[in-house]
Amino acid sequence: MSSRTEFVGRIRAEMAKTRGLFPATPAARPPRPTDLADAIRRELAERWPQALDRFRAEFERVGGVFHRVRTSGDVAQIVGDIARERNAHRLITWPADVLGLDVAADLRRHGVETTIMPHQEVVDAERQRLREVIADADLGLTGVDLAVAETGSLVLRSGPGRPRSTSLLPPYHVAVFDRTALVESLEQVGVFLEAWHASPDASAAGAVITFITGPSRTADIELTLTRGVHGPKEVHAIFVEAPIRG
Amino acid sequence: MSEPELATPLRQRAARALGDRFLKQALDIATTKFIDLRRDAFGDFPEGEALRDRARAIKEATLQSLDRYVDQLVDNIERLGGHVHYAATADEARAIVLDIARASGARMAVKSKSMATEEIHLNEALEAIGVTPVETDLGEYIIQLAHERPSHIIAPAIHKTKGQVAELFAKELKREVPADPEVLTRIAREELRQKFLQADLGITGANFAVADTGTVVLVTNEGNGRMVTSLPRVHVAVMGVEKLVPSMTDLMVFLAILAKSATGQKLSVYTTLVRGPRRAGELEGPEDFHLVLIDNGRIAQLAGPLREALYCLRCGACLNVCPVYRQIGGHAYGYTYPGPIGILLTAMLNGPRSVKDLAHASSLCGACVDACPVRIDIPRMLIELRKEVAEKGIAPWSERVLFKMLAHVLGSPPLYRLAGPIGRLLQRPFTRGGVIPRLPLFLGEWTRTRDLPAVAPRTFSERWSALALEADHAHTESAR
Amino acid sequence: MTASVRASLMITCLGDMFFPEVGVAIVRLLRRLGVAVDFPPGQTCCGLPLFNSGYHDEAAAVARRMIPLFRNSEHVVVPSGSCAWMVKHEYPGLMKDAGLRREADELARRTWELSQFLVRVVRKTRFTSAVKGRITYHDSCHLLRGLHEAETPRTILKDLQGAEFVELPASDECCGFGGSFAVRLPEVSTAILDRKLANVEATGAECLVACDAGCLMQMRGGLSRRGSKVRAVHLAELLTDE
Repeated sequence: MSSRTEFVGRIRAEMAKTRGLFPATPAARPPRPTDLADAIRRELAERWPQALDRFRAEFERVGGVFHRVRTSGDVAQIVGDIARERNAHRLITWPADVLGLDVAADLRRHGVETTIMPHQEVVDAERQRLREVIADADLGLTGVDLAVAETGSLVLRSGPGRPRSTSLLPPYHVAVFDRTALVESLEQVGVFLEAWHASPDASAAGAVITFITGPSRTADIELTLTRGVHGPKEVHAIFVEAPIRG
Repeated sequence: MSEPELATPLRQRAARALGDRFLKQALDIATTKFIDLRRDAFGDFPEGEALRDRARAIKEATLQSLDRYVDQLVDNIERLGGHVHYAATADEARAIVLDIARASGARMAVKSKSMATEEIHLNEALEAIGVTPVETDLGEYIIQLAHERPSHIIAPAIHKTKGQVAELFAKELKREVPADPEVLTRIAREELRQKFLQADLGITGANFAVADTGTVVLVTNEGNGRMVTSLPRVHVAVMGVEKLVPSMTDLMVFLAILAKSATGQKLSVYTTLVRGPRRAGELEGPEDFHLVLIDNGRIAQLAGPLREALYCLRCGACLNVCPVYRQIGGHAYGYTYPGPIGILLTAMLNGPRSVKDLAHASSLCGACVDACPVRIDIPRMLIELRKEVAEKGIAPWSERVLFKMLAHVLGSPPLYRLAGPIGRLLQRPFTRGGVIPRLPLFLGEWTRTRDLPAVAPRTFSERWSALALEADHAHTESAR
Repeated sequence: MTASVRASLMITCLGDMFFPEVGVAIVRLLRRLGVAVDFPPGQTCCGLPLFNSGYHDEAAAVARRMIPLFRNSEHVVVPSGSCAWMVKHEYPGLMKDAGLRREADELARRTWELSQFLVRVVRKTRFTSAVKGRITYHDSCHLLRGLHEAETPRTILKDLQGAEFVELPASDECCGFGGSFAVRLPEVSTAILDRKLANVEATGAECLVACDAGCLMQMRGGLSRRGSKVRAVHLAELLTDE
């Protein structure tokens, strides 16, 4: 096995032998990504309806199901309907303060067995129990960090209260977002990624960031498109018109 | 471990593939579909051409400072609590992963699709120490059940029909299975879901690693990459050292073109950015995170003739458009990486001797360059490999003598002038109505399926003096 | 008539030995268009077969001989896209000596594949077809992807009087020739050719046009072996007076 010094040394030695390379630079990074991200948000506060239209078109093109409600108070009804129509009884959800809205009580009233994910460290036994709950869940309810109009993608950061598998193990994933999550392009996503990683708050970028672009799919058998191979077979996005956090 | 020279010569492997009707049909359907999907994706994306140029520049810039970016990546991953390992060879890479597997006490490892682990033949080695590797990408799962190797970089089971997959599932899983992709996919989901939850070890490749943040990036459609990086106790990512990109801004440039080139999607379903092990307060995620950086012939190419092949994103676009790949499929190439880029990677990993014949498995049509998201000039490097094969005396002596003789004739007009008359004399017994239907020796390879034109009764050079007079004549005519 | 444009014909080895009628047709055509054509003596081959098989010193020696032959040419016209590509793209890089390299660069600038020369230099696009009926066109790889030329042959063919031009499905796919590839992996080469010819037959064209001697050799050889009625011709053989 090689050591780091040997390995990097070998790279350096070979690099020294190259000549006649053409001038090339990496992509120019935003010098102050946090400011730029804020600027993007401000601009989008004006033209979010166009971004939302594009998002909806792209999201539906990749097989997502789009819903639109007036206020966060209407979310539980939609989720309840989705659950009932699909005979889905067990739901797991990010906690209210992470999600920005409290739907657990309403969902339970709809007859949906609802488990709230913890947002603090848990002991191993509890971790194991929750893992079984998640594995058995029919529906996972999450928030959204970015909704990307160009590609119809949902960007989710993992972290306390945001377990990775909420949007992965259950066959139905429902994500709730509002205009503040909308961005227009992958380029703008890049700005947010830079900003999150530049943040002094180490948790800003999460351990895992996932871009979800439609339901899980495969085309490995005769290139026949099949949904829900390992991840969810349906992805729903609920857009809340009135900003969720007021 | 460099791979052994293959027992069957390339030409026979290719001929065998050509004789497989199922394969021919599967390849035709799949490659045609991939080509259309890619064309449509870029057709809707006017900025695509400029992004391809940027992506190419980023790859080049990364290689020009690779030492710095590796250092940065390693520092970041270690700061996050992850471990980085360094493998000069495939042997070392395997040994590293086996050590991690042993230390984890794992009995089973779930894997998401990774050409890097194929390259180092990891599965056999894991089995040998009692760790069961389970491929979880549907295509890879099929291939593993069939004890085969992937035949396409992104669609490993492209060569199998649904009927063949159903038979395979029925035999391996001992149950009745209809030849319906939907049902087959559901069966695989059920089979694999339990494995994801049970396995202690998750093994992945990496599409990119971002130096600035210490992030490993996985691009998948099925969600298995997310499972493997979220559920097991230990996550090992195995990655060629050339897959680094400097920053998140750079990463987005690649993401914008990768899926479009591979499957015609704007983005694959899941793009997963993994940064070290589980954080405090997180419910899930591995306790241990390892990145294995592989050299295995790559670093030498920083200053070698195959440098540009280090730009490769493994999207498979060059396979789909390659007229040779479309006829013979991936297995006939005989090594881990098939297709035009695969020939270059095979040479990089195993040395020029391994591509003595493969370097010629291309008509140099250049379709690959046009399809490549980072415009890798594959034909040029194939010619470089042919040069190396010729100059190092790896090519057969008969071929070398033939080309030297040809060069001699082409370098000497008096000798060249004799070619016409001599050709006419030699071809006389073989010519029928101006064409040659059958010839001995290597030209017989031509005439087996194609007529060869006969050397003209008078070559152009022999006709020129008369033609020159025509001009003088016309000139006097028009002057009059 | 005073010739305003001068051009030298680079016949290429395949054109010289196997398709002299193409060269003759080009000379007569260009003359009718008022171009003064000469044929510098001492030509052999551009060296592409040597270059592509990896014999670069040998290819360079051939190039070193060829370059001075065209020193005084105003334009160099080549009936094959692949040979034109060799001269334009590879000659300069093969010259180690700075003077020769400069000369190779200049030759590259003055070299044209025939259809390019007609459309871009002579600016003549309307011709009458020597063959009546439906025609189709195969893009030779080096002309299309090496010289990035899809346009000039089509400009001429679409405007060709007396013939009906139809696009060949997958016209940009290789015909399977590839020089020594055709005899190193003959089965693969033939399978690629089969696909090409099936597309040709599907167009219902009577005539298949190409601008490359290598492709013509491959496709013509395949068509005649199959007893097809389709004729594969070089562009020059189609173009008669307006």
